[in-house]
Amino acid sequence: MKVLLIAQVGLLRLARDRTNVFFVLLAPFLLILVLGQLFGGQDGLRLGVVAAQGQLADRLVTALGSGTRVTVTRAADEAALRTAVERGEVHAGLVLPASYDASLAAGRTAAVRYLIRRTDLRSHDVGTWVRSVVRQESARVLGVSPTATVTVSTAGRAVFPEGLSAFAISAPPLLLLFTFLTSLTAALGLVETRALGVSRRVHASPTRVGTVIAGEALGRVAIALAQGALIMAGSALLFGVDWGDPFGAVATLLAFSLVGAGAAMLLGASFKTPGPPISLAMILGLGLSALGGGTVPLESFDPTLRTIAHLTPHAWGYDAFAQLVRHDAGFVDVLPQLGVLTGLALVLFALGTWRLRRALT
Amino acid sequence: MSALLEVVGLRKRYKDIVAVDGLGFAVHEGETYGLLGPNGAGKTTAISMIVGVLDADAGEIRVAGRAPDLATRAMVGYVPQQLALYPDLTARQNLRFFSGMYGMRRAQARTRIAEVLELIGLSDRADHAVATYSGGMSRRLNIGVGLLHRPRLLVMDEPTAGVDPQSRTSILDSVQRLTGEGLAVLYTTHYMEEAERLCDRVGIVDHGRMLTEGTPSELGDPDLESTFLRLTGRALRD
Repeated sequence: MKVLLIAQVGLLRLARDRTNVFFVLLAPFLLILVLGQLFGGQDGLRLGVVAAQGQLADRLVTALGSGTRVTVTRAADEAALRTAVERGEVHAGLVLPASYDASLAAGRTAAVRYLIRRTDLRSHDVGTWVRSVVRQESARVLGVSPTATVTVSTAGRAVFPEGLSAFAISAPPLLLLFTFLTSLTAALGLVETRALGVSRRVHASPTRVGTVIAGEALGRVAIALAQGALIMAGSALLFGVDWGDPFGAVATLLAFSLVGAGAAMLLGASFKTPGPPISLAMILGLGLSALGGGTVPLESFDPTLRTIAHLTPHAWGYDAFAQLVRHDAGFVDVLPQLGVLTGLALVLFALGTWRLRRALT
Repeated sequence: MSALLEVVGLRKRYKDIVAVDGLGFAVHEGETYGLLGPNGAGKTTAISMIVGVLDADAGEIRVAGRAPDLATRAMVGYVPQQLALYPDLTARQNLRFFSGMYGMRRAQARTRIAEVLELIGLSDRADHAVATYSGGMSRRLNIGVGLLHRPRLLVMDEPTAGVDPQSRTSILDSVQRLTGEGLAVLYTTHYMEEAERLCDRVGIVDHGRMLTEGTPSELGDPDLESTFLRLTGRALRD
């Protein structure tokens, strides 16, 4: 009962702070929307093409521009196209060889080259369209030249499977960012409780220190879970994000919330005044998220940086959600990530409990 | 009268500083005992040990004849010098929270909270955030929390510090009314006129030691303040 009451007061104080209406309720969804637009959204796709004049080449370029989503622009040469791709002026480039018409007319294979920027997630969307059009065009050419063959193959597993919503890419890292950040900033409540003398007063009541610690721990977990669950449910309803296997998604949210709550306990128990912990909360909340795939997808990191990223809980949460959201993984598939997160949470809670007990007695 | 609180040879040391040095006194049922001393005399440290938020290095504390434990804590009401309240919650929410910490049941707490709000004159502002209260209102609520669970002993650490004369008068009236109902009060203050008005007995402490003890009239030669300054000196304290 006392444990619940202490936890309840933590939540009540969070809810009464009006600034949290923005930071806890609105900001996550605004960022999902903005990053979703960045990763895909509703804007049209742009494809640059380098093609010599020729009947067949012109027909392919016309076909590529016949859809409603892709706008085709011609580049003067391959160097200009490469620059346009690198600058993000187009999402992808297609280079038809100068001998395109001649090769096909002679019954030979004509290889086209597709240029992308690795970090431009929309290039995958354009690629789907280009493959589809080239396949159709090849079929038409086959009718003219029976000797031509078309082979489309995919190696390995696509990082971002076709048809994946842009919001499904942006929502999981933001859930991790805000769950951790809200946990850490709410740790300020624990610092205040001690600075105000309320914890001292509670200690003078017939309430055991263990009860106070359990109540504070439960409060931290409740805050983290509430933030995470809000983003999970809100992004599903507002942006249609499919979080995959419910057991796996809830388990990942719970494990990550425990990490956030443990970190908040440690932070809140380590300082006597609110100034330093709030600065540290912002630095840790934003820094660990950025390193753990919160702003740029982990897949675009080089191997060394990816290894370093996995020193953060965010990277493990990112991996778990990537499995669940993009690849139809289940609870069992994300057990390794859940194990790491739970272990980290236990360490943080142990340290936080030790610090809080010292601070209260 | 039997002693509700007995303190014998209490001692507390912080590294090189001896904050409380063999302090001893007793507070009886229905009695108001004033612990007087300049800043740094060891009053708040002694009170912290009595209410159980600080461990003593040596000495003995007995509440109703028992060594301090969770049961004796339920007999003691604590009004700290600092406003130990959540400023972003209302008076009623603060009282509800602390009633829970004292193990009061919901229905019992609801009735008692209404009584306490009436007693401290905050019934009409009960559902406003404490942050919107004046200093005097916050002080009254601070006392109200200490009274919530009907303690036998109320420990008040400078409860009128920084309040206006109206609120001070109201607080002193309340304390007198409560002691009239049998509550024992351990009271620390800097204001000698408060001690003279409220206290049945006073103890003057400095450097953690009891310098003298008696009724205000016994020690008031020519008045309590003169005795206080004669015993503790006129040098300024931090």
